[in-house]
Amino acid sequence: MSAKKRRDAREEEVRGRSPLQDAFHRLLKHRAGTLGGIFIILVILVALFVDTTIPAAIFGGEVRPLIAPKHFAEVSFFERDLPPGTPGYPLGTDYLGRDILSRTLYGTRISLSIAVVAALVSLVIGLTYGIISGFAPTRVDNAMMRFVDFLYGFPLIIFVILLQAYFKAVSRRGATGLVGVLVNIDRALGGMFFLFVALGVLNWIGMARLARAQTLSVKQKEYIESARALGAGNLRIVFRHVLPNILGPCIVSETLAIPGYISTEAFLSFIGLGVTPPTPSWGLMISETYAAIRTYPWESLIPGTALALTTLAFNFLGDGLRDAFDPRLRGT
Amino acid sequence: MRLSKLAVVLLVSLMVWPVMGQVIMNRNLGTEPPSADPAISTDTTSIEIIEHMFLGLVDLDEVTMAPVPELATSWDVSEDGLTWTYHLRNDVYWVRYDTAVNRVLQETATLPDDAKLILSEPARELFVGKDADGNNYVVAQRADASGFFRLVSAYDVEYGVKRTLDPNTASDYSYVLYIIQGAYEANTADPTSPDFPALMDAIGVKALDAFTVQFTLIAPAGYFGQIASMWIARPQPKWAIDAYGDSWTEPGNIVTNGSYAMKSWIHNDSMVFVRNPYLPDDLWGGGNIDEVHCVMIVEESTAFAMYLNNELDTGGVPLSEMDRVKVDPVLSKELTIRPFPCTYYYGFITTKAPTNDVRVRKALSMTIDRQTLIDQVTKGEQLPANTFAGGSIFGNAALDPRIAPWALPEKLGGWGYDKALTEAQKLMAEAGYPDGAGLEIILMHNSGQGHAVIAQAVQAMWAKAFPKARFTIEVQEWKVYLTTISKETPVENMPNVYRLGWCQDYPDQNNWVHEVFNPTYGNNDPRMSPDDPQVGAAVAEFDRLTTLAGRLSDPEERQRLYFEAERLLCDEIVAIAPIYYYTQIALTKPWLTRHWHDTPHWDTWSIDAKLRAQMTGKG
Amino acid sequence: MIQYIIRRLLWAIPVLLAIMVVTFFLARAIPGGPFDFAGEKQLPESIRKNLERKYGLDRPMYEQLGKWIWDGIRFDFGPSYASRSQTVNDILKRTFPISFQLGFLALLFALLIGIPLGTIAAVKQNSPIDYGATFLAILGVSMPTMMIGPLLMWVFAITLGWLPTARWGTDYTQLYLGFFPNIFSAKFWLHAILPAITLGLAYSASIARLTRASLLQVIREDYIKTAYAKGLPARRTIIVHGLRNSLIPVATVLGPMFAGIVTGSLVVEQIFGIAGMGKYFVTAITNRDYPMIMGSVLVYSVLLVAANIVVDVSYAWLDPRIRYD
Repeated sequence: MSAKKRRDAREEEVRGRSPLQDAFHRLLKHRAGTLGGIFIILVILVALFVDTTIPAAIFGGEVRPLIAPKHFAEVSFFERDLPPGTPGYPLGTDYLGRDILSRTLYGTRISLSIAVVAALVSLVIGLTYGIISGFAPTRVDNAMMRFVDFLYGFPLIIFVILLQAYFKAVSRRGATGLVGVLVNIDRALGGMFFLFVALGVLNWIGMARLARAQTLSVKQKEYIESARALGAGNLRIVFRHVLPNILGPCIVSETLAIPGYISTEAFLSFIGLGVTPPTPSWGLMISETYAAIRTYPWESLIPGTALALTTLAFNFLGDGLRDAFDPRLRGT
Repeated sequence: MRLSKLAVVLLVSLMVWPVMGQVIMNRNLGTEPPSADPAISTDTTSIEIIEHMFLGLVDLDEVTMAPVPELATSWDVSEDGLTWTYHLRNDVYWVRYDTAVNRVLQETATLPDDAKLILSEPARELFVGKDADGNNYVVAQRADASGFFRLVSAYDVEYGVKRTLDPNTASDYSYVLYIIQGAYEANTADPTSPDFPALMDAIGVKALDAFTVQFTLIAPAGYFGQIASMWIARPQPKWAIDAYGDSWTEPGNIVTNGSYAMKSWIHNDSMVFVRNPYLPDDLWGGGNIDEVHCVMIVEESTAFAMYLNNELDTGGVPLSEMDRVKVDPVLSKELTIRPFPCTYYYGFITTKAPTNDVRVRKALSMTIDRQTLIDQVTKGEQLPANTFAGGSIFGNAALDPRIAPWALPEKLGGWGYDKALTEAQKLMAEAGYPDGAGLEIILMHNSGQGHAVIAQAVQAMWAKAFPKARFTIEVQEWKVYLTTISKETPVENMPNVYRLGWCQDYPDQNNWVHEVFNPTYGNNDPRMSPDDPQVGAAVAEFDRLTTLAGRLSDPEERQRLYFEAERLLCDEIVAIAPIYYYTQIALTKPWLTRHWHDTPHWDTWSIDAKLRAQMTGKG
Repeated sequence: MIQYIIRRLLWAIPVLLAIMVVTFFLARAIPGGPFDFAGEKQLPESIRKNLERKYGLDRPMYEQLGKWIWDGIRFDFGPSYASRSQTVNDILKRTFPISFQLGFLALLFALLIGIPLGTIAAVKQNSPIDYGATFLAILGVSMPTMMIGPLLMWVFAITLGWLPTARWGTDYTQLYLGFFPNIFSAKFWLHAILPAITLGLAYSASIARLTRASLLQVIREDYIKTAYAKGLPARRTIIVHGLRNSLIPVATVLGPMFAGIVTGSLVVEQIFGIAGMGKYFVTAITNRDYPMIMGSVLVYSVLLVAANIVVDVSYAWLDPRIRYD
């Protein structure tokens, strides 16, 4: 194994590719992973340009729908519950006569930001914690891991419910200083910001364990030893050698965790702690209409399909990335 | 299909086996009743089961809401309206479902040898004596040489009322009884203080003899007759409560006197009630249902599916199925929609800009298109509301176009929405917000899909009427929400508009405009103040009227005062925008005939078992 | 081995204590007390005081915390604030077995579907069968439970009429030893099918994907290659040698998965009207029912600790190389 690794390392030097670039090339050979990646890029584009928020921020002008035919909150009382295919409403309307296509497209923005921000929060906290723990003296390392064990034994979904209930409560109170800034961001995002935080908090623990394990294994490697011998400090070692080598598995694990965030958002919507209506998220749209699945099936099935496809794409991408980052699984 | 028949046969045989020949009704309570204790219950589900287990001093008429005899056959009110004396019947037994013999049994008692004979009829001998401690009176009928059956007595009523007011019971609703002399003092006393027993004794409820109970009030409250019908004033079985403590309401422990007795209570899952065979015939409502099997399905669409599958005999309609039910040839015939004494409303915080301006409040109230909201969103044929209290409450002014006519459609004598919209836009411009320019309103509701839908609809209506304004919806979880809109919250953390509903505890305006909005005694969530520069005088007048009306006994005078109070609240101060009066929406299978009391009375319902067998056998 | 279990149990004690303390402060941090309101009514100060006195909420904070921990240690939480005639222990005793049964059957279903699916996918890696199996598996996890439940109910209970609409087939009064259902009762199984499938579907996908990944890794190990080289039939090799070892990572996640599945069944329990404990995780918080919050949190934590110990011990059976020191 170590002989093989060394050979890989030499090859990389020769070709001048980082492990990340290398993995990227391998990913492109993974058909399902590529497909998932392309789909996610599409979803990101939709999320960015569903309305003119971003162009308006750069070039000025009013915010209006761009890709979406209508604004998500445009109510039409007398055109409610129309089936897909109705003129003007390709995917039908919901119980308030709002265009389901538009709301589903807007929903990408919410669900995707939740996924991305929660993933980033968890990645950053988890990596930092894991690497510090991996480099710290044994006693500190033990203490830090005990803390993780403790959190692991804690029902985190309860933690999230408590935090979400708490944030929703304080978001109306004492909005000054930094808290005030956060509260304003939260309001602008339909009450989602704290949801991101809560979801990130939910998942950094697994990430911390993974990052520590990876750090410990990388720490043994010869090139770290030689770097240390050359007088490199811990910080330099972390950023030049450790991080690039452990980032791959961590990103894979995070990608595979994203569907979990999306479905947690749906669960929170189900119990009334999700985004604030009328802001659409797929989870909210489904939980508002699942009870009508016999009468107006399209109202929940369309956002449900969007959610399922995105989840599918993230899973494919995650699988592809894993195969790409783990050379042992390569080329079969 | 074979499997289905097998399943049906299995299920039916399981359900029918132990009770062959009994008429059983299947009903969904919708949730686990938080309690079966009359002293501490607050919610409709608990009250529904209590209604069947405990008789009230009086019942309320199905239509007129006037008190009618139940435990009390008659009552007298003193000239000054301060003393109310109830004469009880002497033939109501305490019963208990005995889980050992699987039958409802009369509750027995032992009496001392010196028990006093108070009534002697050919078939009955009634005695009163003290129990073993020598503190409490027991009223009982001789059963045989050694035993006695306990009867419901005035002492049980006195105990029930005092237990509700005992701070150790910690009853949520004890404040409703504060109209009784000494009630407030006892309920707010420290139970460890030495003078506490004296305070409890001083409460103005007294058993004059075995079957006469007298209440002394602090004011001649015309609505006390309705309060006497409430669950918190019902007789309670002291010996059972003493023996079992908080778990006295569990099956096997619970001692009751109403039309049904509790056979089982599988918490969060189901309850079974059986008819009380010892109830005097004339108290029985004329129905034929022997057992009521209640389930507690929270999810409306699931309960609806069970109704369709004949697993429930009566049930509700989920909002999303309303359209379909209304046009379905079978279901539309099984659908009943009737008024229900609750009101859905939006309140305005009158101390927070810009809703501190009465013109803004009025314009916002005007631009809620109530009829469209009802037809397209809530879909339950609710009535548009122009006042706080609905049509069945004493002193109401519901649908009277002299109050807030903008809320009513033209066919009810109101303005209709087009006129309301024009007037509202004028008012808003006068207030300095033409087309809503510069207007920022925060609308807050508690989480819940029904509330979210209405809020989004209203937001859309307002946004259309005032296109340049910004309307933001905020949602909070229930308890947080209630804390937010309570008076302790600083005004900068308040929304401009909040949503709430109100359901009657007793059908009198005192329970509505006074208890909810009186600036001195009520919750007064809108924070109306007599110091308000625009409507201060009206607020002071509202305060005076609602307080005064609660202390009068003349019905006509009270009616007049409450009309004026409603006008001030909804038309002049515009502290709230009433939205609609609730309706009860129920599906009932053709074999079930039911009456429509606000709190169900199962003893008045009947099932045609033959028809049910026919119809379900085919289906 | 026994020493190892004892050590694990001892370590669980400080963890559980810390969880109690954190839960205490988190629960109290949310605005709104349990007795501020009755329905939509703000309770008069006097009545709130009566209630708070009755439940000891007027005591100093440190005293409440002390009582809280003492209650937790004895596993006796006292009366529930939201359902005042019952104690939290009553509620847990009634609802936990139901949730446990539902969770167990769901997990069983997930394993029965997930492991074969994952194995097929691994054996035929990158073939259409792999993609098909993976697609199916992930679709399972992707569809939100709140959609699958009503859909299954609609098809199998209402349209086809094969299965009962809702509710669990047994209740706590019919359980043996207060825990085990009568598995010979047709009613029990008929009622269990739809909820268990709805709940298990999401987990079957995770199990399938884990099985696939770990089997792929194992297949490349030397001993499997040796077995092939010795001429053992492929299917037998995979099942006997490969699958057993590849189940170790699967077993790792079973612990937390089981704890999550038993307690996280809120959606399924609500849709099918099952009297389990899932809903208490949410309602305890929304009611500010402090004893119930504590009870549900501790049940979850203890379950998680227990499940993890069982899983770790079962490693020994799956992989004889693992030794406990």
